[in-house]
Amino acid sequence: MQHQLLRVQGLCAGTEDKPILHNIDLTVGAGETHVLMGPNGAGKSTLGHVIMGDPAYMVSTGSIEFDGTDVTDEAADKRSLAGIFLSYQAPVEVPGVPLYSYLRTITQKRPELKMTARKFRARVGEMAEQLDMDSSFLTRELNVGFSGGEKKKIEMLQLLLLKPKLAIMDETDSGLDVDALSVVSRGIEAYRAECDGALLVITHNTRILERLTVDRTHVMVQGRLVAEGPASLIDDIDAHGFEQFEHPQANGSGE
Amino acid sequence: MSVNDERIALERVNTPPAQTWNYLRTNDITLTVPAHSRKGDVFFALPRLFEQVECGMGPKVTEWVESQAADAHYVEVRAGVQRAEPIIAEDDTGVMVRAGAEATIVIGASPTEEALDTSASLVRIIAERDTTVHVLEFVAENADQHVHSVGITAGANARIDVRQFFLAAGTTAAGLTVALDGDHARLDLSCRYLGREHDVLDINHVVRQRGRQTRANVRESGVLDGHARKALRATIDLIHGSSGSEGAELESVLVLSDDVTNKTMPVILCDEDDVAGNHGASIGSIAPEQIQYLRDRGLSLEEAEALYQRALFDEALIAAPTAGIRHTVLARATAVLGADVANDLVAGLGLDEAKEV
Repeated sequence: MQHQLLRVQGLCAGTEDKPILHNIDLTVGAGETHVLMGPNGAGKSTLGHVIMGDPAYMVSTGSIEFDGTDVTDEAADKRSLAGIFLSYQAPVEVPGVPLYSYLRTITQKRPELKMTARKFRARVGEMAEQLDMDSSFLTRELNVGFSGGEKKKIEMLQLLLLKPKLAIMDETDSGLDVDALSVVSRGIEAYRAECDGALLVITHNTRILERLTVDRTHVMVQGRLVAEGPASLIDDIDAHGFEQFEHPQANGSGE
Repeated sequence: MSVNDERIALERVNTPPAQTWNYLRTNDITLTVPAHSRKGDVFFALPRLFEQVECGMGPKVTEWVESQAADAHYVEVRAGVQRAEPIIAEDDTGVMVRAGAEATIVIGASPTEEALDTSASLVRIIAERDTTVHVLEFVAENADQHVHSVGITAGANARIDVRQFFLAAGTTAAGLTVALDGDHARLDLSCRYLGREHDVLDINHVVRQRGRQTRANVRESGVLDGHARKALRATIDLIHGSSGSEGAELESVLVLSDDVTNKTMPVILCDEDDVAGNHGASIGSIAPEQIQYLRDRGLSLEEAEALYQRALFDEALIAAPTAGIRHTVLARATAVLGADVANDLVAGLGLDEAKEV
């Protein structure tokens, strides 16, 4: 395994009144591609949000180590600046903030990405073209009035712009038509090619994985990681579904 | 109007057509303004036709600006002409847009290095049938007090779009009345404002829908911080005979401080059966899910809030059509956001390469 970029150990987390994740152990090496699969309500998205530092979830036990630093108690913005990126399943609309202003502001926060405004504008223009995005999007309000596919493209644009060390793709493929899925897949490919960043792809659909070289596959059922294996596990799941993993658990429930 | 040495009080101006309880202190604003004597001066006044144009801040302000301004400015856009060059409205300006013509009218005081006591403008526009009129209004100049009164009448099938940016420090009192007199006339109004520190914003929007099948879309949004005080009065008046007309008004305001005073008085007046009037408002802090999204991308809470202010200036700079207006907006952006961010705005938007007007 490469240098351990993300190390989750014995993690239990949930909302104030409901435990969701139980004793999660997960390690992702730098530059690796991991896939997290599982049936609806298994807790996959929750794990993504907990790794990102969403305060809606509380960690009761366990730890999250990122790039050699314990970030369990760090706020989401600190984790983001450290190099974690969570692509939302349903990107949030932010009225009153044009996309361009937003992109410029989040880029300027990262010293390693600072560039002149002119270069930045050119860079964003190139990426928009790469993702088949109309440049007029840049003056529109962030995610407001965009279709589901367009919102995912904006997520990809941010991924390529911020070049995180770890990108968690939370069901990025959900609700996309074939063309939009192709554009998003190209974005993920470009991220891997340009940044050599690690990926944790959360999905229960194998289409988005077709263009990726997967290192490890994890299966989550009812808030527990119940299986782990090589990329071939995806084919197995594709052929036989999740039923083989869905044994009743003694404790807890999904998201 | 009472006189006190060289200043006068414009009492209870910027009033809406229908008022509410006085104790709510939302109906109007009283302004103390300079009174320069022009006794004996001979000056150019607008054609009498413009006296029929109702202006947002009311007749007292119209009378005061007329009495203070040097010659009034009259601009006429001939029928069927698409005028590319924007019309820069000065202190007291009347614009006649003849049938089928298209014009852009820019309202915004010239940049000054020294702070003014009061900046004022009075702009009246007559848009005849089948016209397209774009109005861009910027209040960002360096003055203690800003008084802007605008009135527009729109004939049949006229398309009026108005974009307002109220970004200045001090007191801003602005009124706009648009009369959709002709059938199928349409108004799209976007008003963006910023209030900080001890700024006062007093805004009065009135849409008179007289023609049949008229449309009015009014959107106000802004950011309030510090001890800013804002009063917004927005009236959609669906007048008898305006059958088939629709008017909608929506305000969203972001309040960043507990010391802000935010008052909104939306009114829909209706004297016709077959019409639709809607009002909506969203007032408060940034929604938790929006904050979380921004934090997930590396912004602290304070930086997320500052982003909304930057966004206002970004939008204003993109819309600014002349070098003078850009200069004024940029100077204000520098005061609010700092020189680095302001310069970044200009370079990032490519405005430093843009052709100057």
